[in-house]
Amino acid sequence: MATDTLKSTTGAGGATGGLRRLLLDNGALTALIVLVIALSALSGDFLTTDNLLNVGVQAAVTAVLAFGVTFVIVSAGIDLSVGSVAALSATVLAWSATSHGVPVVLAVVLSVATGLVAGLVNGFLIAYGKLPPFIATLAMLSVARGLSLVISEGSPIPFPDSVSHLGDTLGGWLPVPVLVMVVMGLLAAFVLGRTYIGRSMYAIGGNEEAARLSGLRVKKQKLAIYAFSGLFAAVAGIVLAARLSSAQPQAADGYELDAIAAVVIGGASLAGGTGKASGTLIGALILAVLRNGLNLLNVSAFWQQVVIGVVIALAVLLDTLRRKAGATPVAAGTGGNRSKQAGTYALAAVVTVALVGATSFLHNGSSSSTTPKMGLSLSTLNNPFFVQIRSGAQAEAKKLGVDLTVTDAQNDASQQANQLQNFTSSSLGAIIVNPVDSDAASNSVKAADKADIPVIAVDRGVNKAAVDALVASDNVKGGELAAKTIGEKLGGKGKIVILQGQAGTSAARERAAGFAAGLKAYPGIQVVAQQPADFDRTKGLDVMSNLLQAHPDVQGVIAANDEMALGAIKALGSKAGKSVQVVGFDGTPDGLKAVEGGTLYASVAQQPSQLGRIAVDNALKALEGKKVEETVKVPVKVVTKQNVAGFTG
Amino acid sequence: MSNRDELLRIEGIRKTFPGVVALDGVDFDLRRGEVHVLLGENGAGKSTLIKMLSGAYHPDEGRVLVDGEEVRIRGAQDAERLGIATIYQEFNLVPDLTVAENIFLGRQPRRLGMIDRKRMEADAEVLLKRVGVSVSPRARVRELGIARLQMVEIAKALSLNARVLVMDEPTAVLTSEEVDKLFAIVRQLREDGVGIVFITHHLEEIAALGDRVTVIRDGKSVGQVPATTAEDELVRLMVGRSIEQQYPRQQPEKGAALLTVEGLTRDGVFHDVGFEVHAGEVVGIAGLVGAGRTEVVRAVFGADPYDKGAVKVAGAAVRRGDVNAAMAAGIGLVPEDRKGQGLVLDASVEENLGLVTLRTATRAGLVDLKGQHAAAERIAGQLGVRMAGLGQHVRTLSGGNQQKVVIGKWLLADTKVLILDEPTRGIDVGAKVEIYQLINELTAAGAAVLMISSDLPEVLGMSDRVLVMAQGRIAGELAAGEATQDAVMALAVSNPTNEKTGTEASRGH
Repeated sequence: MATDTLKSTTGAGGATGGLRRLLLDNGALTALIVLVIALSALSGDFLTTDNLLNVGVQAAVTAVLAFGVTFVIVSAGIDLSVGSVAALSATVLAWSATSHGVPVVLAVVLSVATGLVAGLVNGFLIAYGKLPPFIATLAMLSVARGLSLVISEGSPIPFPDSVSHLGDTLGGWLPVPVLVMVVMGLLAAFVLGRTYIGRSMYAIGGNEEAARLSGLRVKKQKLAIYAFSGLFAAVAGIVLAARLSSAQPQAADGYELDAIAAVVIGGASLAGGTGKASGTLIGALILAVLRNGLNLLNVSAFWQQVVIGVVIALAVLLDTLRRKAGATPVAAGTGGNRSKQAGTYALAAVVTVALVGATSFLHNGSSSSTTPKMGLSLSTLNNPFFVQIRSGAQAEAKKLGVDLTVTDAQNDASQQANQLQNFTSSSLGAIIVNPVDSDAASNSVKAADKADIPVIAVDRGVNKAAVDALVASDNVKGGELAAKTIGEKLGGKGKIVILQGQAGTSAARERAAGFAAGLKAYPGIQVVAQQPADFDRTKGLDVMSNLLQAHPDVQGVIAANDEMALGAIKALGSKAGKSVQVVGFDGTPDGLKAVEGGTLYASVAQQPSQLGRIAVDNALKALEGKKVEETVKVPVKVVTKQNVAGFTG
Repeated sequence: MSNRDELLRIEGIRKTFPGVVALDGVDFDLRRGEVHVLLGENGAGKSTLIKMLSGAYHPDEGRVLVDGEEVRIRGAQDAERLGIATIYQEFNLVPDLTVAENIFLGRQPRRLGMIDRKRMEADAEVLLKRVGVSVSPRARVRELGIARLQMVEIAKALSLNARVLVMDEPTAVLTSEEVDKLFAIVRQLREDGVGIVFITHHLEEIAALGDRVTVIRDGKSVGQVPATTAEDELVRLMVGRSIEQQYPRQQPEKGAALLTVEGLTRDGVFHDVGFEVHAGEVVGIAGLVGAGRTEVVRAVFGADPYDKGAVKVAGAAVRRGDVNAAMAAGIGLVPEDRKGQGLVLDASVEENLGLVTLRTATRAGLVDLKGQHAAAERIAGQLGVRMAGLGQHVRTLSGGNQQKVVIGKWLLADTKVLILDEPTRGIDVGAKVEIYQLINELTAAGAAVLMISSDLPEVLGMSDRVLVMAQGRIAGELAAGEATQDAVMALAVSNPTNEKTGTEASRGH
């Protein structure tokens, strides 16, 4: 284009003009600032040093993963495997150091090498095997997750203490994960901006053919790019596991999508050629600030997901609009330009007001200072059992006049750690935790203990940290009861299959142990298959259908929860309750209905709403300084068609 | 105003982009049954103007009238409704659909909700016959050559009953034979009462085809003249000065053979291609589109593999199929597809200029950014790249300036053998001469230049020797003195498998 070019708009504006330019140039930064202002206005607990450091810690893992993904996205690729590779690297570290006595330094090297190799395999498949990046890394997502389960045999492995310090603070206040995030961010910025490989990423992402014809060794570069991504994933995995003091084979599940979201919110294009480390950091911070703020505001766990989705879309929309506004002429027509800028401001204002309005609407805590406050962190709300725990707890809280905040960790130990940290920093009177993993919750519980906040565990215990009380059903006993029920029903003889719970959870392990112990009394019962179906109804259906192909003659099924049992019943069709007897676990409303209908022979019923109720009772006692029992056992009982009518959860 | 023949009128159009005023007060009008040529250097604003007509851009100021009524063209649908069809330089065709599907894309005739394939293909056949191209409506667009793609685009425009047809440099990619065919079709459309906006850089086409000429310079319409205006006058209007010599070739002393190609063969594509290029020499490769010229030079550069033969630079063999080996030997390629293969469009001028030297500017993994910046600044100044700054994205540069950037990155790498594939396609007269000067400087400094071009006057004007390719073989070689348009064309259409008669036939002219 020929003439009338102008370099910059900031003339007389000075410092404010510079700031305005910075904000207009970076929609994500504007969004972050809007969010911070909105949350500070809504919650007094938000803008404190402690809480901001919490946000940093909570952003760290996503940010480090996202820095690695930035390399890939800038070069017009995609890496879906980073979450799994992070889990695999952490598992390798814990497995070699803890289980095999490899020196810790060597174990760390081994773990980083694992990430590197996973990245190299991705890069090789993409550059030389010509697989689309989406497919190659999707395959690695599955392989790495599977390998971490294989190595750990499905159970979390304790992390060596020396590495666990990575999850602590430096000098008593600076959390190491934040430090790692900053260092990796600087490293990423340095690689992208100054190194040969970094500059190549932009060229390859912008126009691969032009890069090749300019002599860039595109294939070798791609190998290196994915190796970098794997390396960053390994570091993220180590940080994640250090925070939890345990390597979880199921950790970082779905984090690749958070990482990609962070990169895109930060202004990168999935088409490649653009993206910056600073933008990615802002993207990761936006996600962390949101989760933290919504926890503090006591927004319902279900609405949180809606809000997060809306904010991701808004942040990217703001950035797109900003670019369009930036694309308007600046040389002349100053009037038009100003109105466009005003438009951007107006949009930002509308977004802020909408956000503040929506969150304060969803935020249901009219918190007068006299009512005792408590937090309940549930492992998941994607399962009726835990929903019943919540209802029991909420009903009791209402009765006792307690202000109860409920969060949903979505079966992610690290997300639970964040939520517990948020509870601690907003100085609640008491915390009730339903751990995703008993080992992984220990650090967070220790922190709460340190802050003199009573902690009650519900349904699952916490290892290596003191809780004031554990309110739980007896899973091992329940498992034995389930075995006994099926043994008696089949007359001590027959072939059965066992559907196990999600590998790595204590409930799955304990119930499996109970089944095994109970079946010892029935040598005539033959277990022809044991397969995990992850406590999930759909998976229960699939796994059972598959097992029926191999063993059409089974006579009994023990499922480690009702959801899987109901899935199995679907798979069995008309056989259920007639030629095949199914025993479930939990006594959920759906399960009990099936017992009533005769398709489910029996369910070992826990009393989830009782668990919730008793947990809140005990928490209040502890809060008021009264003495509480160390373990409160809530009885389980076998519910069959005979006694189902009288049973209430 | 109330001219009944007037189809279209544009008054005082203004359009700005960030940092650039693309159009400023442009007037233009089009009558029924005329060919109105838009003339201007690249970057003058011709493309921006026609994008207003297709609805891709919206004017900041000014008005557009169709049939005397003011209209707003917000998108492709509006343009279609008003009977305005545009054929861009980059075709808007879907490669994996058939010709008929492309012609009727989005408007396929339907019966009971299903696409009526039979009727669609029959209708397409009629349209294709009208534009005089023999291609099956069922052929996939991917399989067609560039000239036929253009005919398909024209057929598509006809199917829309376009009253205004905008053609953006339709002849840039055609051979002269194809150009003649295109002109016949355009004349026929003019007879039918269609108004045609015709953009071209080939001045001789204006007299051959046009009725009126509107000249645009630096975003302003600087004059409207009849098509019979002398070429010198048109050039003066277009560039604002007169150009002394269109092909300023200065032949330096010929040195030793730098590039030697022997018996290069890729089965089914090119066969037994051999030639030499000496230091200080410009060798042109002429031929019809599809003769295998681009394929040969890509193979020489290592971008594609070959089956037999050898490539040597200064006597040393170059590994086959290895771009880096070719580069190390001093070969550089300015590819045919400037945007698709030559540039990273969304990167800055500086980054594009530094692409080839990125590796050599790296010490211990770190790029010497300061050095790269200084080098880019020097070369951009030397080449006279017109830009807002080194940080400007090359996407927003004009075609001529983009090409300078592509050549510039090779100059920075001290290239000894520079291969130029259609170096001036879609570039205006002024920038062309600048690129020719650059070729002169290169050869004067002892480099060898191999240049493919479909622009015959250019090949003849700039080459010291001309190789003519036909059907994947070298059909003949002509020295600068004996190369005429007729001689080259005779070889280009010859059947070089019986080489003797071909060469003799050419001598006969």
